Amino acid sequence: MRNQSSVKQEFLRKWITGLRRYSCEKKNMSFFERKKAIKLSADLAMASTRDKTTRWSQALIANNTDNVFIASSSSSSPKKSSSSRSRNMTTLMRRSRPTRVKSAKKEMSSARCIAKRLMEKRTRKLKNLLPGGESMDEGCLVAETLDYIQSLRDQIEVMRCLVTASQLIINPS
Amino acid sequence: MLHCVNMTVLERQQARSRKCHQQDQDQDQDYQRSSLFDVFSSSITMDGYDDSSLHMPIMPPPAPAPAPSSSSALSRTTTSITPRVATSLASPTLGKKRKPLTQKVVAGGGGAEQQSENKKDKKVKVSGEEDSSKITEQTNKEEVASAENSKGSSEAQNHKPDYIHVRARRGQATDSHSLAERVRREKISERMKYLQDLVPGCNKITGKAGMLDEIINYVQSLQRQVEFLSMKLAAVNPRLDLNIDDLFAKEVFPACAPNFQSIGMASSSDMSNNPAAAAAAYLDFNSVQQLVSCSNGLINNIGMSMNPSPDMGLRKTIATPHSVSLPETFLDSSSCFTQALPPSIWEGEFQIQNLYNVAFDQPRASSFPPSHPFTGLVEASNLKMEMEM
Repeated sequence: MRNQSSVKQEFLRKWITGLRRYSCEKKNMSFFERKKAIKLSADLAMASTRDKTTRWSQALIANNTDNVFIASSSSSSPKKSSSSRSRNMTTLMRRSRPTRVKSAKKEMSSARCIAKRLMEKRTRKLKNLLPGGESMDEGCLVAETLDYIQSLRDQIEVMRCLVTASQLIINPS
Repeated sequence: MLHCVNMTVLERQQARSRKCHQQDQDQDQDYQRSSLFDVFSSSITMDGYDDSSLHMPIMPPPAPAPAPSSSSALSRTTTSITPRVATSLASPTLGKKRKPLTQKVVAGGGGAEQQSENKKDKKVKVSGEEDSSKITEQTNKEEVASAENSKGSSEAQNHKPDYIHVRARRGQATDSHSLAERVRREKISERMKYLQDLVPGCNKITGKAGMLDEIINYVQSLQRQVEFLSMKLAAVNPRLDLNIDDLFAKEVFPACAPNFQSIGMASSSDMSNNPAAAAAAYLDFNSVQQLVSCSNGLINNIGMSMNPSPDMGLRKTIATPHSVSLPETFLDSSSCFTQALPPSIWEGEFQIQNLYNVAFDQPRASSFPPSHPFTGLVEASNLKMEMEM
């Protein structure tokens, strides 16, 4: 199990770095711009703490590296790796496609059919939720979900701490 | 990424060997082999593996439990691959990478059971899907003892094992495909068990579909929380930079005696979700934490002597001398938060300046620019404290 507090500190550090870069570029951002910047840098920082060991983190970074300033600050050349990652994604999709085709061709009884369809609906929903989830098979999906949930929980804890701290400063009484 | 490899090949081997073996002959080997699964997650390599049904990345185990639990769960399903087996595996259509192993493999030599396996091995055909997997050899102690070439077998033993050894359980289909499917299913159910621990409220749900529903809801709620928290942060912070690097400098403020009573009051009035955690965090010792605690103490002590006026206009008049977008901050935050930010905020910020030994009779005019770095620093140090819990 990775060290929770060190992961959170790493996440915080990267997040702050990203935010600072963002604030250097743009002055006087509107509320929504700020919110988007905060969320984006938080997501990227969280993904980079996983150090590209998980697919969802790779997909998250790849999806968001159109923002150049974040790319240069949060992780080491995600732009370069995003292209390789997109290549990996396509190869993964090619690989995982045959499985889906095979399962569709099998004959089943109606009850099993319904059950299978329910499962497919749910796995599709989960795949849509997870970044980069479309190209995963079931076993990988479950493992990635596990990791993603843990990272999300860490991220939320850190963010909540930050909100608490800033609120405490503003409203000490 | 690591992938589990080659199970179908081994399983096929085992399926055939089991047909002529007696089970008790293999059981000793099984229990010895059960330790193989400890390295299961660390040493599988794969080259050019095409079959996506077995294409499962091995994630770093989310809890310390997985390695021992997987080994115990699969201890009955381990099989023995003799050197002869690997040889016969290596001989047909497999890739070049198997060749260096064949020498090691031949070293194994023959006990009685190995010889009987050999007959079956020659009939082994490797299907196309497992072609290019790399196989290394597992030898148990018996084989080492009986090995003609001890060097090769000991080398195989010390070598990182790359095989997943699977044995069909009693009364189950021994077809290699079903074996692979079963292993895959077991892995998935194992991971689902971890998810059950992770996702709250999943203890009573037994079906995979229900579990998936809960997982989906949980992930959605977590993502929504992230959105909400980022919105909150955007509202609270008029500027994005939080000046955390000052936090790490740690030398800005004079050391003050920590005032824990006031800290307790501060944390108890905290509207966060874990006031107990925040309070506990304050009790951790750190130079930065002491700094924060004394600043909080100061805020509380001095804030009580001031007379806060609940007038929004007052806030604005306070803000207008400063050419910063403070009214905007308040407007944003009051739109986002249900509670109104009291004007004592400003007094609090002004009092912080006392730490800088700024003249207190001119708090508003001169205090604002330095107050923000301090604010950022203090909140960052708060955060650091809470994270060190």
